[in-house]
Amino acid sequence: MSHQLGRVVSEILHQYFGEIVQKVGHDLFIYGTKPIPMIVKTTGLPRKQVVDSLRTLVKFDLVSFEPSFNEVVADYKLNPDNVLLLIRYPRYLLQIKTKFGSEAEILVEELLQQASCTASFLLVTVAAKYKDDKKKNITLVKLRDVFISIATARYIQQAPVADKSEVPSLEPVATIVPDIDIRQLAQAIATDTLADVSDNIYWKVNFDRFHQDFRDDIMVKAITRRIDENAGELMHLLLQNMYLTSAEWAAESNPTPVLDLRDAVDRADRTDCDRNLLQQYMDHYLRVLEENGAGFVVRVGEAGGGQYVVRGRDAATQLLLAALDHTVTERLGSKAARIFRLIRTKKYIEEDDIQKHAMLPNKECKELTYKLLEEHFISIQPMRKAASSGAMAKAVYLYHIKLHDVAQSLREMCYRALHNTLRRAQHTRAAHARLLDKQRRVRTIVHTMRVRGEPQQHIDDVEETLTPPELSTLKDVEARLKQLSAAQLALDKNLFILNWYFMYPH
Amino acid sequence: MSSSKNDDPISEKILNVAKKNPKGISDKDILAAVPELSAAELVSAINKLLQEGLFDLYNQGGSLIYRLKGQTSKQAVKGADNEEKVVYNLIEDAGNKGIWIRDIRLRSNIANTQLTKVLKNLESKKVIKAVKCVNASKKKVYMLYNLEPDRSISGGAWYQDQDFESEFVDILNRQCLRFLQQRADKIKNNPKGPVVGRTQSFASAVEVQKYITDLGISNVKLEVEDVITILNTLVYDGKAESSVLPDGTKVYRAIESLIPPPGLVQVPCGVCPLILKCCSTGLITPQECKYMDDWLEN
Ligand code: SF4
Repeated sequence: MSHQLGRVVSEILHQYFGEIVQKVGHDLFIYGTKPIPMIVKTTGLPRKQVVDSLRTLVKFDLVSFEPSFNEVVADYKLNPDNVLLLIRYPRYLLQIKTKFGSEAEILVEELLQQASCTASFLLVTVAAKYKDDKKKNITLVKLRDVFISIATARYIQQAPVADKSEVPSLEPVATIVPDIDIRQLAQAIATDTLADVSDNIYWKVNFDRFHQDFRDDIMVKAITRRIDENAGELMHLLLQNMYLTSAEWAAESNPTPVLDLRDAVDRADRTDCDRNLLQQYMDHYLRVLEENGAGFVVRVGEAGGGQYVVRGRDAATQLLLAALDHTVTERLGSKAARIFRLIRTKKYIEEDDIQKHAMLPNKECKELTYKLLEEHFISIQPMRKAASSGAMAKAVYLYHIKLHDVAQSLREMCYRALHNTLRRAQHTRAAHARLLDKQRRVRTIVHTMRVRGEPQQHIDDVEETLTPPELSTLKDVEARLKQLSAAQLALDKNLFILNWYFMYPH
Repeated sequence: MSSSKNDDPISEKILNVAKKNPKGISDKDILAAVPELSAAELVSAINKLLQEGLFDLYNQGGSLIYRLKGQTSKQAVKGADNEEKVVYNLIEDAGNKGIWIRDIRLRSNIANTQLTKVLKNLESKKVIKAVKCVNASKKKVYMLYNLEPDRSISGGAWYQDQDFESEFVDILNRQCLRFLQQRADKIKNNPKGPVVGRTQSFASAVEVQKYITDLGISNVKLEVEDVITILNTLVYDGKAESSVLPDGTKVYRAIESLIPPPGLVQVPCGVCPLILKCCSTGLITPQECKYMDDWLEN
């Protein structure tokens, strides 16, 4: 695992859990698996703090454990990929809100914070929290219904269960959508205790289900950009069918017969596409989708009026290439991107031929080629000509692209950039810690005063302890932090494509 | 060559035969090629051509042989010594592809210094010229003065005095893209369906060529081939894709990238030349970074 990943993970842990957890996490990252005494030794932290940190980390699934060879002691291991997901939380919330409404968002948010809890606990906590909020009008019944729908749609799942051994191992269980007794829960809220409710099934968020949505979304958007909304909708329906018939991340889905697709089109109720057009010209759309849709979809057979397959692996590759093109364009200019794509199209190409096809002045072309080489976007392969050509023989250098390596270095770059934005945000927060703290205090005080109904005059007095220059600095700082976290989200999306590409063996 | 301007059809035919046989032709060859010619016509035509100085006359094994003259061979031979003749012949043989000085030396066995002198001499007499080769800037080739360099040497429409005209290419690249973009949207929600829409969004090289010619931005005549070269740069730019229609014509269509600019290029680090040198501590750090400052300013 790369050094850069380690730096990112460390920053994220710092941001979300503070310095001590960061230390423990970083220690685990560097040494791989190790038991508690070893962590205590290398970090120099008190045992209690290490244990507490591990508890947090294990709870959020950021660290896993397994028995070491003496069976009663556990070895701990960091899961850096899960740490990276922490940045993605806002996207999960947005996604669930778009699909299931704001109750779902509140439930998932609470569940993310709890890492895992029982359905009863979750519903009761949320209901209690919003008891007084008349605007949202959240009822237990509504919450239960939403809970059932998101569980049915597999956005949440049952948490694995520990077995009874000394160092328990976690066994995943199949999710069964539960019956929830509302009366019992209402009672629990009234008496403010969950003691009477016997519920020992724990739930957690199923990230992978969200990731499938993200993937589908990228593919649909890409097709919409390339062709139009109707083609995008068709892609969406194909993906829906893939969800029902194939393994989640299959490199190629099981085939969908055109007849099924036609049914789906007739049933579809999307507003952002022209359904009549799609119904009338579905065959045409399928043809164009196959021929001009970047290879996301292919026709595989004629049974049932034709059969179509979604090619996840190819789509990931195409999207990676698109991301690479953008990166090369921004870093080295559009002419370099031209050379980059040229080399990719020709697979192996000589320097002279690059110049000929790219239509660039000799010197510029060479410079750009060398820059691409320097930044590891392309590689070079020397080829000796046969010895028979005598004194005139000179080595030929062929340029080409090792996609896997390039993807790797792009990922490293993303890690670096992510680390830098996190670090910068952390630095900004630290630099203005005193002021941010003051603002937080003022807000709390004002809030309590409002609740108590104190006169406006007093509230104003408290608010004015923040001077105008302080306020303007705060505004500035907030804007910066916001920009930085938007950038982090964008980088995370970029990494998503890369990781999707790496999911398939190449 | 100027001889092709000859508008008399008989002479032209004879000249064509002669061009095909640089070793020379006999009366028989001419008659074989232009069977409708009477003996008298033949004689008068030949005489005319001889008068114009286009043919050399030889006697070979009893029959007369006419050989087409290189236009300048007179001058070269006049007052030239043996070396010059040898060099001249080598250069003449190379035609409009030219010959490299090194190859002249190897084949003629003339010492370097003397060869340079000979070449200078011929050059000053405007018998030959040196042409810079476009794909190897240091390499000069020699050819007869009146020849138009081959495309592989001169680079064709894209070169002016052996200098690559990148601005011209850029302009054409942009104009071609504009043309394709004008019709690119035809595929979207086309009431006749996407297959028809796609066909409407395609443009063939011939159409683009016409558009460019009508724009009048080029003072050189662009061949379809040239336009294809430009259209291909658009494909390499990722701004167009090419397909082949059932009848074999190659067509182009403007496209957009599959994704908007990804996260990496939205942050300064993605375009930062120092990204590999940027560390948590030291001279270049994200905390103190100037690029970040500027980016966060707005
Ligand atoms: S933080 Fe600044 S110096 Fe470092 S990589 Fe980013 S832009 Fe470059």
